[in-house]
Amino acid sequence: MYRQGDVLIVELEESAVPAHLVAAPGELRDGRGRLVLALGEVTGHAHAVVGPGRLMREAGPFGPMLLHLPEGGRVVHEEHAVIPLPRGWFRVVRQREYAPGAVRIVAD
Amino acid sequence: MQYVNAWRAVAAATGAADRSAAENGVRLAYRSAGLAEPDTIVWADSPRAAVEAVEKLIGAGRSVRDEVRTRPWADERRRTYDELGPAGWSALWSATGAQLWETTAALAERIRTGVVADLCERPEDESDVRLVLLDAVLGQHDAAWLAAFDGRGDRLTGLAEAARNAGWWWPYERAVVISERPVALHRDEAGRLDRGDGPALSYADGFALHAWRGMPVPAEFLAGLATLTPERIRGEENAELRRVMLEFYGYDRYLAESGAEPVHRDETGILWRIAMDGDEDVVMVEVVNSTPEPDGTHRTYWLRVPPGTRTAKDGVAWTFGLDGQAYAPVRQT
Repeated sequence: MYRQGDVLIVELEESAVPAHLVAAPGELRDGRGRLVLALGEVTGHAHAVVGPGRLMREAGPFGPMLLHLPEGGRVVHEEHAVIPLPRGWFRVVRQREYAPGAVRIVAD
Repeated sequence: MQYVNAWRAVAAATGAADRSAAENGVRLAYRSAGLAEPDTIVWADSPRAAVEAVEKLIGAGRSVRDEVRTRPWADERRRTYDELGPAGWSALWSATGAQLWETTAALAERIRTGVVADLCERPEDESDVRLVLLDAVLGQHDAAWLAAFDGRGDRLTGLAEAARNAGWWWPYERAVVISERPVALHRDEAGRLDRGDGPALSYADGFALHAWRGMPVPAEFLAGLATLTPERIRGEENAELRRVMLEFYGYDRYLAESGAEPVHRDETGILWRIAMDGDEDVVMVEVVNSTPEPDGTHRTYWLRVPPGTRTAKDGVAWTFGLDGQAYAPVRQT
């Protein structure tokens, strides 16, 4: 389990990954070739993964995002230190905050 | 992805429209739909003023929004879907439009609500204004759809050109009303309307929306935030407004001045509880950012967690959808 600011990255056993996701096409990379886990709307600062792999959005127990890094990778952000990740599958979770009657995501 | 970022900028664009570019886009959209170009183009300073201008149009004919916007989009979507298949379409949408959808749809809905509130003195007027709003093409706020189709053909070029250069517009058979873009837009990092000392969204004619971290608030409420006291915060009966007051005042300052005691402390942070009369307790975790600021200090921040939270670790874990026992980062920055 790794945490960079308001993003948590949790290891997942490959056997737990649903079959339809194992070979699903991943998201497009950004203009700098990165997989963007979370983007700040105003500053454009991003939690992003550098390295080969795929990012998939998936609602439900494995979502909202699933990350596959066959060779490992690095999570970068303009304001946080780099975190190296081992090879494998990960669940990516964005931090949230409690609000009576609702839940809000956190603006990092 | 390059399209998404360009359209993200279009959705958030402020300042005067390029009127001739926008009008050219609108005319092209009519021609692409097989319609004659409109005889008249009327400019308005805001969506509110545009609704009033639409209500004053004489002999403009029926709305051609379906022909100009909805049908071309539906056709393009069908064509792209047939070309890419269900999985391909879903991947395209999630890489493009889906990234802009939530923030722009929320902003457009707030504008609609604001226009209705401003123009309807009596509840029975509301349906008339809402009907006019249904005829609007959202211009810059159609960015999510336009991002998905960008680079995939030229049928939507007119719509895209209008969106890049102006705000909402209303197409009728013989006339078009186009609104200017906002003059100011203030949002937080999550893309929500957010400003503590003035309108978060404003247009040249004074039409404006006030919001704090996305929550709509009255203008006069914001004006009172500068002189808040803990007593006034405790005395506010509206729970949502009290939350805004607490956030504006600063949880740390409020905790210090109201003599709150920490409830629990562990390696993840500190748990605080503030009792509220007639409302659920405010329970927060105080955590320290792992990455130092440029000056070497560590920023402290507060996150509100459910009132039943017992330990700081349970609170931090909850913010990531986990229970306390499962939360154990091996590395954090």
